[in-house]
Amino acid sequence: MNILVVDDDTIVLDSCRLVLEAEGFDVHSVPSADAALETMENQDFDLLLVDVKMPEHDGMYLMQEIKKRWPEIPIVVMSGYPTPETIADGVNMGAAKFIAKPFTPDELLEIVRQVIGKEEGLETEKSSRN
Amino acid sequence: MFSSTRSKLIISFLGVTLLVGTVSLLVGGQLLYNAVLSEANTRVRLDLNSAREIYQNRIKGVDASLNITTLGPGFRAALGRRDVAELLRRLRRLAQSANLDFAGIVTNQGKTLCRIGPHSIPAETAQIPNPMAALALKRGDAISGTVVLSDDFLDAENPELAGRARIQLLPTPRAAPRPDKEETTGMTLGAAVPVFEDGDILGVLYGGVLLNRSQEIVDRVRDTVFQQETYRGRSIGTATIFLGDIRISTNVFTPDGKRAIGTRVSSEVKGRVLDEGKNWMDRAFVVSDWYITAYEPIEDILGERVGMLYVGVLEAKYVDVRRKALSIFILLTLAGIALAIGLGYLLEDKIMEPVRRLIGASAQVSQGNLSPEIGPISRNEVGILQKTFTEMLNSLRERDRRQKAESEIRLLQSEKQASIGKLAAGVAHEINNPLTGVLTFTHMLLRRKDLGDDVHSDLQKIAHATERVRKIVKGLLDFSRQTKLDPEPVDVNRLVRSAISLVENQALVRGIRLIFEPAEELPMLTLDRAQFESVLLNLILNALDATETGDTVTLSTGISVSTNHVSHKGLEIAVTDTGCGIPPENLDNLFDPFFTTKEVGQGTGLGLAVSYGIVERHGGTIRVQSEVGRGSTFTIWLPIGELSGQK
Repeated sequence: MNILVVDDDTIVLDSCRLVLEAEGFDVHSVPSADAALETMENQDFDLLLVDVKMPEHDGMYLMQEIKKRWPEIPIVVMSGYPTPETIADGVNMGAAKFIAKPFTPDELLEIVRQVIGKEEGLETEKSSRN
Repeated sequence: MFSSTRSKLIISFLGVTLLVGTVSLLVGGQLLYNAVLSEANTRVRLDLNSAREIYQNRIKGVDASLNITTLGPGFRAALGRRDVAELLRRLRRLAQSANLDFAGIVTNQGKTLCRIGPHSIPAETAQIPNPMAALALKRGDAISGTVVLSDDFLDAENPELAGRARIQLLPTPRAAPRPDKEETTGMTLGAAVPVFEDGDILGVLYGGVLLNRSQEIVDRVRDTVFQQETYRGRSIGTATIFLGDIRISTNVFTPDGKRAIGTRVSSEVKGRVLDEGKNWMDRAFVVSDWYITAYEPIEDILGERVGMLYVGVLEAKYVDVRRKALSIFILLTLAGIALAIGLGYLLEDKIMEPVRRLIGASAQVSQGNLSPEIGPISRNEVGILQKTFTEMLNSLRERDRRQKAESEIRLLQSEKQASIGKLAAGVAHEINNPLTGVLTFTHMLLRRKDLGDDVHSDLQKIAHATERVRKIVKGLLDFSRQTKLDPEPVDVNRLVRSAISLVENQALVRGIRLIFEPAEELPMLTLDRAQFESVLLNLILNALDATETGDTVTLSTGISVSTNHVSHKGLEIAVTDTGCGIPPENLDNLFDPFFTTKEVGQGTGLGLAVSYGIVERHGGTIRVQSEVGRGSTFTIWLPIGELSGQK
């Protein structure tokens, strides 16, 4: 299970990597939207964790690009400024879930599992149809 | 112009003055005139009596002089001898001393024996009947009185007398028509006294004065009765002797200054006095003027009405009295009018000056000056108005001051919120990233079983502290969030009940009574239900925190007016506790962010600040009343009628 974490703050990248790797996920982390797109050209991911506020291209831009090119990859949006507007924007862009910073390891895992579980359910559905 | 108070005042004064003036003029003038006229009438009546006395006295004078003459022995002897020369001498003496115009002796056969005058001894063929002597002979006694004599008789006595008696009639307005142009008979005062000798009549002595053109009697009346009183160069009193209706002896003058002999009396007077034999007492038109007059008939020795006696006073004098009085009344009225205008002007000035100042002051107030000059306080009803006005101004100023203070506080509060909001948003965002690290790494460390208990315990403390930081930052974010309202129609009573249901258990556990007193029939308000519920919860929880076991927290709803705009109706939600109360020094900071009186870790100091922001964005206010040791009341006021939450 490959997860790509995108955030300009290394402490967030480190935190996510620590928690998710402990649970057995393969975690790649990049510090910007452009780096994320570059990475995704070369590698497949099952889930993206994207921060909203980043210098240069922000999380919203990144989601837009991903939805164009890899629309099937689920995205979890992270924000340190969880206003209803931000959450609504994320959901409108096609985010699967929203998680407010700061979060505990349990809270992060809970969200991730929910999203992956849903995706797996869909996968199962798809395969059974096939 | 006529609606101004000044005009009204002046017009009222003028009305009164004119009314009084007119009534004085009409009633007073008439009363005065009547009084003067009645006095004048009385005077003329008395004057007529005096004139009659003078007239009668003249007759008596003639009578007496003849009587005395007949008693003289020399005269009797001469008569007995028919001594004409001696008789004539005595007759002439008598005529001279008694001022007689004619005198003579008639024999007992009725023939004229002799007379003064040119034809002193008449011829047998030139005998003229003597009416006076004839009557005396017939009666055998002396007679005297008025006698009208023919021009033949007068001519015989003395042609000069006949000439004096002849009077040309002058055309007179108002006189009765008369065919003849001339009066030739003479009116005389005469007497005839028979002279007796041994019971037989020797003869009759007669004599008299001709009144025609004689002014003796009338001038004496004027001089004694009216004492030559004059009015504008004319004698006030006049007297006249009429023969029939002709003035034969008078001191009434025609306009050209001659005595009015030959003019005639008005037909009206003639009819009443001569024809009916009654007296005339009234104003009458005499020759060319109005007089207040009295006429009475004159009867001759046979008792026939042959003429009239008249006295009169010039009416002009009395009319003048009335005119003078009327002039004075008019002058008084004019003075009254001037006084009324002046007084009205002054009074209006005095009465209206403070009112005008008040009007000016009102205009200033309407332009925003709440401290206008209203002048000294009057001591009348206007003064009450001025005092009330001043009181009104005071309360206006007080309200203005309070509103300014309140809006200053509100502005300050808004500025505080805005700046702190921005700060909070920035800080929160920046803090959340490192906080994620702290939380993650602490929790990951806590999962390790290889660490000692003391390390584990320390990590727990770090985790708790971080949770606290997380809550504070969340509160800050909530506070800074200028989220749009999501208004919907809300039944406030139901909203309060739902908020209460969320905290009921807490209250129960802490032994605090939670009471709700809803008002009936409240209108629906348009509110953000979720945000408003959080406001209510915040207030109720604060109240619960401020109270001890056994205390009461009461919620109530009701209708009231705004403290800022009296005309603005609103709905109130009050949360009252019987807890510890808030010290006055804390009241001012109550709604400031991060202001808290709770113990460290118990409150973020953001709850009331957030609530304040929400209520304000609904167009409402929150106010606090508190007394230390007695409790506090937080009152939310929300406007009715307009859509709340437009800001």
